[in-house]
Amino acid sequence: MQEVTVQPGAAPPLRLEKKTRSSELKKRLWRNKWLYVMLLPGVLYFIIFKYLPMYGLIISFQNYKPYQGIFGSEWVGFEHFKRLFTEPEFFNILWNTIVLFALNIFIYFPIPIILALMLNELRGNFFKRIFQTLVYLPHFMSWVIIVSISYVMVTMDGGIINELLSYFGFEKINFLLSNGWLRPMYIIQVIWREAGWGTIIYLAAIAAVDPGLYEAARMDGAGRMRQVWHITLPTIRGVIITLFILKIGHVLDLGFEHVYLLLNSMNRQVGEIIDTYVYTAGLRQGQFSYSTAIGFFKSIIGLIMVMLVNRISKKMGEEGVY
Amino acid sequence: MVEDRSISGRIYAAINFTLLALIALITVLPFVHVVAGSFTTSAELAAHKFVLIPRIWSWDAYKFIFSTNTIFRAMGVSIGVTLVGTLFSMFITSLMAYGLARRDLDGRNVINFMVVFTMLFTGGMIPTFLVVKELGLINTYASLILPSAISAFNMIILRNFFQNIPEGLEESAKIDGCSDFGILFKIVLPLSMPAIATISLFYAVTYWNTYMSAILYLDDSTKWPIQVLLRQIVVLASGMDHSSTLDGTVPPPDQTIKMAVIVVATLPILMVYPFLQKHFAKGALLGSVKG
Amino acid sequence: MKKKSFSMLLTVLLAFSLVLSACGGGEKSKEATADPTPAPSNSNEEVSTAPEEPTEITIMLPLNTSETPPDTIKKEVEKLTNTKLTYQFFPADTYEEKLNTSFATGSLPQVTYLKNSTTFVQMKEAIKDGQFWEIGPLLSEFPNLNKLKPEILNNTKVDGKLYSLYIGRPLARQGMIYRKDWADKLGLSAPANVDELFEMAKAFTEQDPDGNGQKDTIGIVDRNELVYGAFKTVSAWFGTPNYWGTKDGKLEPEFTFEGYYDTMDFFKKVRESGYMNQDFAATSKTDAVKMFTSGKAGMYIGGSMQDIDSLHKDLIKNVPEAVLDTHSMVAGPDGNFAQWMIPGYNNIVLFPKSAVKDEAELRKILAFFDKMMTPEVANVMYWGIEGVHYTVVDGKAKPSSEKELIEREVKGYKDSVIGEAETNGMYESYNELPGRIHAEELLLENVKVGVADPTAALDSVTYMEKGVELQQIITDATYQYMYGQIDKAGFEKAVSDWKSRGGDKIIEEFNAAAK
Repeated sequence: MQEVTVQPGAAPPLRLEKKTRSSELKKRLWRNKWLYVMLLPGVLYFIIFKYLPMYGLIISFQNYKPYQGIFGSEWVGFEHFKRLFTEPEFFNILWNTIVLFALNIFIYFPIPIILALMLNELRGNFFKRIFQTLVYLPHFMSWVIIVSISYVMVTMDGGIINELLSYFGFEKINFLLSNGWLRPMYIIQVIWREAGWGTIIYLAAIAAVDPGLYEAARMDGAGRMRQVWHITLPTIRGVIITLFILKIGHVLDLGFEHVYLLLNSMNRQVGEIIDTYVYTAGLRQGQFSYSTAIGFFKSIIGLIMVMLVNRISKKMGEEGVY
Repeated sequence: MVEDRSISGRIYAAINFTLLALIALITVLPFVHVVAGSFTTSAELAAHKFVLIPRIWSWDAYKFIFSTNTIFRAMGVSIGVTLVGTLFSMFITSLMAYGLARRDLDGRNVINFMVVFTMLFTGGMIPTFLVVKELGLINTYASLILPSAISAFNMIILRNFFQNIPEGLEESAKIDGCSDFGILFKIVLPLSMPAIATISLFYAVTYWNTYMSAILYLDDSTKWPIQVLLRQIVVLASGMDHSSTLDGTVPPPDQTIKMAVIVVATLPILMVYPFLQKHFAKGALLGSVKG
Repeated sequence: MKKKSFSMLLTVLLAFSLVLSACGGGEKSKEATADPTPAPSNSNEEVSTAPEEPTEITIMLPLNTSETPPDTIKKEVEKLTNTKLTYQFFPADTYEEKLNTSFATGSLPQVTYLKNSTTFVQMKEAIKDGQFWEIGPLLSEFPNLNKLKPEILNNTKVDGKLYSLYIGRPLARQGMIYRKDWADKLGLSAPANVDELFEMAKAFTEQDPDGNGQKDTIGIVDRNELVYGAFKTVSAWFGTPNYWGTKDGKLEPEFTFEGYYDTMDFFKKVRESGYMNQDFAATSKTDAVKMFTSGKAGMYIGGSMQDIDSLHKDLIKNVPEAVLDTHSMVAGPDGNFAQWMIPGYNNIVLFPKSAVKDEAELRKILAFFDKMMTPEVANVMYWGIEGVHYTVVDGKAKPSSEKELIEREVKGYKDSVIGEAETNGMYESYNELPGRIHAEELLLENVKVGVADPTAALDSVTYMEKGVELQQIITDATYQYMYGQIDKAGFEKAVSDWKSRGGDKIIEEFNAAAK
């Protein structure tokens, strides 16, 4: 493992006095000129398509009217943020969002890793490929389809699962209309749709493992489990951490469609999250400024989380995402 | 992987196999349902909740969706956009990722941070639309590609993979007189095939799923990709549109048509993966080069 | 921002890197040879310059069918109206996003259809601000447009001024579609009042109406919609006002009236007794329809009674002997009949000032709509081409049996026809199904006891801003009450919640506007 990855911090061996530093810098810049040329298209892309439109965030502090434009709309300062924070349901909604996110991190997140390791342990390329392809299928079904298929399975009105329950003499369970079942259903659907797809990136990382290392470990008498633990897992650690940091940025940003499809009057108490709230309170009523302000709030929290976790990861000697 | 013939090794493999087979079965069943549903009649679908093997076979749904050239045209657009878009994105993403992977590059951390920042903050639909409009991209296929040419996520992942390539290799290439571009294309990329395959797949799927850009930037519906058609049919057929009114004039399309369209619109992108799979076995390369 | 220079730059860069990439002149890398720079094809707005006669009109409207219709109908309409039309359809599902983006960037076309009355409410502020042409004063110049019903035009006025044309809909199409064969078998007649309605639901559940020896049927199938599902229709039967009612000379929301509580109690009882689908609060329209067409449920309440045709078509595939009928005259506890009415329109058309430069252009566009309101044009847009998509029987239009052809070529335009049959003179539909013929009679009956929404033409700023969000509180409480999770006190708490979070203001504003 150590032979494969180069440790960070080993990189620029340049710790010189101030004087020579600037000339060294110039030299380095010149030497790396082609690298900067390489960065150019990407940097241009981010500037043009990402940073240029960011002035749109201004409308969080306005009473934006489409016909008055961003530069003509009335300024209201933090009005919209105040509205959000004084919303009676705000803390409940925030809590619901965090709980679903926590399920994502603690339950969903490790599953693709485990699945990838299991796939990697399969003997024979034939089954490996077949299984790999099969588990990745669900990713291509939209949430609408997945939710409507689950409806058919769990409804009290003749759904398969409830029919089975009552056949075996159990009480029917009201999966669709209860506060208790929304979260399990949500996370199960997430796992079902995304776990297989999520393995791909880890499989790519596993592919970089030097087979010689396994050989050596076997010589030392290490079993399969130990090989996984001591060779495979450390190799993909970097990828895991990167994905984790990127994911943590979406702490309040779970996406609207999936949860919205699961939501109804009977489970809104636990199911209303920030994104669904934005949809009802903001977008459906053309409240652009309010929606943008909520988005802004989500982003700030995301940024804080990313910076925090990134710092921790660097402290622990990992690379971090920036 | 080398065979482990010990008893515990065999048990381990058997358990692993069984578990995976079970998981594969669970993931694939709803898909089978969709495929089966597309080959039967709507009456059969309504009568039996979860059809896995249709008792009545019917091609009607496929006849319906293939009876005009819309789906072919949309498919053509999607394939074109996916191919061109993926190549283009991979190209500029690799360039950027490689540049940022080089630890001796001054300012890389600032740029890295700026990239991460865009994952969290976006200006929104309207300002982006204006940029696209200013660039003269409205009603061009380029509007489906350029505004999403680089995914920050993909770039960061690719950069991570590039960082894992031993710097010694690059050093020796440099001594051999390779330019930075040369190193990237001759050494780094060939050594990163699993990563390249992965990120290409990610891009391809993103381009294949293009929906909102098409609606916003293309007024001409003959230029729309397959997802617009797919989503339109799925939403209509699922009755999930909450704002639907009391309108009797437009009964939703048959469930079978919905399923057939899902099958047709998903098949091409599904076929990409098996082709890329072989690259996942190429990890050995790295070892051999180094050795 | 320099146009196109970005992609130019990329092209140069790509070419550049091609040269540099090889070390020692080996083969070129694969990535580089596939230079994909998509050059903007610049096909922007390539409207062919037709001989000056036909008016060129660009029209944006929601797409309610699976794909954009071909030009068959459009060509015919162009011929009849001497226009050159560009129809821009956008999926109804994401129409608001498109509408908002186009509006905010000044790129709405000359003729802009909204999506429904909700988008209309959203646009009102912009309309007041003068972003769209006022057409009221011009209407009298156009003989056909002038025929549009004044009471419906009134409902679409903003601050007393007319800015839009409306797409008409019958005022009260809702009622119930039920299994007449089941009712006959069990010796029941159509329910005359709400008690009989309950008895029918009970009988359909308990007396094995499908005769298969199993208790596997339910009386009523409903879905996750209070307005277009069964609730609002039944609430009207119980005497609840239509969204808003008058109490002591003051406008109050419907959920403060006795009838609303009675309706909730009714559904609560029906659900608890198992006479309706238990998961109705989570059932989509498609699933509700499926339950009915698979022969599981006996009553489908709340939808348009005209839907009987499509329900019948699917039902007899599963249950060939099924017979359907429509019904809407269900008396409330006090013996009175009542039906809620929509404001008579389904959608409206606006004419943005950003695209229509002057009144002369506006007149030309209105002239097109004036022609659309002649029977020839309206028929083409609503029914299609005679002999291909429909035939005329007894002075009525009978759609051809090629349903797919109609769906593909005609349906997309159907929802854009201005006015209604009485005003634009298009054919009424020729019906064969007895239940449908009955439905058409009931439509007329409904209006006689119709209750209008007194706030249809009124504005409330708070409602515009928070109405949807606040309604959620009531919707949730209504379902929770019907599911027995909260009691009357709980519901009243939700109502006071509604009031304190902005409802009081809405009441105030509507009452002020009503004066």
